Amino acid sequence: MSKNEEKVGLGALGEIDRLVHEPARLAVMALLYVVESADFIFLMNQTGLTWGNLSAHISKLEEAGYLSVEKSFKGKRPNTTLRLTVQGRQAFRRYALQMKQAFRDFEA
Amino acid sequence: MNTQLDLKEMERKAFRATYQDGLWDLYFGLIVVCMSIFVYRPASGYSPLNIVLALCAFGVAFGLFWAGKKFITLPRMGQVRFGAKREKRKRTMIIALSVVVLIQSLLFVLQLIAWANPGLGERINGLIRDRNVMDLVVASVGALIVGPSMILVAYFRDFPRGYFIAAMIALAVFLMIYLNQPVYPIFISMLIALPGLVLFVRFLRNYPLHREEALHEQK
Repeated sequence: MSKNEEKVGLGALGEIDRLVHEPARLAVMALLYVVESADFIFLMNQTGLTWGNLSAHISKLEEAGYLSVEKSFKGKRPNTTLRLTVQGRQAFRRYALQMKQAFRDFEA
Repeated sequence: MNTQLDLKEMERKAFRATYQDGLWDLYFGLIVVCMSIFVYRPASGYSPLNIVLALCAFGVAFGLFWAGKKFITLPRMGQVRFGAKREKRKRTMIIALSVVVLIQSLLFVLQLIAWANPGLGERINGLIRDRNVMDLVVASVGALIVGPSMILVAYFRDFPRGYFIAAMIALAVFLMIYLNQPVYPIFISMLIALPGLVLFVRFLRNYPLHREEALHEQK
């Protein structure tokens, strides 16, 4: 591999969205990508994250505009419903494509 | 190590997670018990009370299932809404089940007609003279009506244990009609409910109630 090709590969990796790249957030985004919406407890059970950890990651994703958070009550019980925004879905798709591309480059 | 992020598998896993509480198994087990007790043909003959009691028992079974989902499963597991593909499968299942119910209703109407016209009933009985063969035919038809509808549910709801339940329910209906003894279907209902009970206990252990979110919401 020439030095120029190496630079191109590293450059592509540098463009990867770090917000999505973090494993816990990637798990949250992947799960929300395949469903329409899920509540906080379902996400916690499926990802295996603790309440505090998940809460922190959700805040970051919400700040970035990738997640929409809807707080409501189911009877007397508070409920937090989460779904990916259009921007979040695009970011996840873009991330998947970039990672695919990066690994394709490594294989070549 | 397979590190591929399989989104389809992830969605399926999330969907099947909703069956981890074992409530479907317990519900169908209860349905078979109700059916065995109230629908079998007693020596004194059928009475409207049988049908009323059976409907009440089915209602109670569904009420227990609904309450279990609402008050036990949802607070522990959380809620999820799946995408358009699952909704489409659900709609297809409803259409397919409607066709099955229509066929069942037609058979029921035919039976009512036969009851209302003793001559017709005798003529049908005359086609199959052997009483044993007649019972065998009726039992097989009953099992063939109930079994496939449960197979449809298992297929469209992506519920693998549903195939086992379908086979067990079909067998229960067959034995109930053919041997006219409630004890065999009750035994089969235990075979259906037992895995559900194990799953339910495991579910309660693995999915404790979460209080943190309630505290978080109050902040």
